Amino acid sequence: MIFESLLLSMVVYAFFVALVLALIRRDDTKARLKYGLVLFAVMTVGAVAFGWFMFLFIKK
Amino acid sequence: MKIKGVIVMLLGWAVPGLGHAVQKKYVRAVLFFVAIFAMTGLGLAMGGKIYPMYLEPPRTVLDYLFNLFRKENPLTVLAFFADLGNGLFYALSRVFSWGGGQLERATFEFGTAYIAGAGLLNFLVALDAYDIGAGKKK
Repeated sequence: MIFESLLLSMVVYAFFVALVLALIRRDDTKARLKYGLVLFAVMTVGAVAFGWFMFLFIKK
Repeated sequence: MKIKGVIVMLLGWAVPGLGHAVQKKYVRAVLFFVAIFAMTGLGLAMGGKIYPMYLEPPRTVLDYLFNLFRKENPLTVLAFFADLGNGLFYALSRVFSWGGGQLERATFEFGTAYIAGAGLLNFLVALDAYDIGAGKKK
C-alpha cells in the first residue's frame, strides 16, 4: 500500500503545494526558493506541532 | 477580460501547465504539470475519491435542473468543485470510472485530499496563466 505513513504523505503534499505556490506568487528565483522553503517549513512544522497539541486532549 | 488570457486560462485548466507552455514559459509549465499530475496520481493510488456532480446519472431534464448535487451530504459539493479543477483529468475520470474511492484503506482520506488539493492548485495555475496572457504578469 502506497504511503502508509501519514507523516510522509503530509510532507510530500506540503512539498508539492509549496512548489506550485512559490512559482505562482514570486517572480525571481531567489525569492521563489525562500518563499517555497518557508511555506514548506510552516506546513510541516505546523502540522507536527498541531498533532502534538491534539495529543493533550487524548481520551484515556 | 482579454480573449487571449481567457483562452490560455481554459487551456491551463484543461491540462495543468498548458496555459504556460503556449506562452513559452516552459520550465514553469513542466513543473506545474509534474506537481499537479503527481498529486492526482498519488491520490488515486492511495484510493482517494473523485466526487461526481450527480449521485445517480440524471434520467430526465428535471433531474438536471433540480438534482444537481448530492442532497444527503451537501458538503461534497465543495469537494466536487475542488476536483473539477483537475480539468481534462476530471472528465476522463468520469468516462473511465477512476476515483471510486476505497474507503477501507487507511490512505483514503489523504488520497482524497491529494486529488482535491491538485484541483485547487490547478485553478490557481490557470488564473496565473490568465494574468500572463492579459499582460498583468511576466
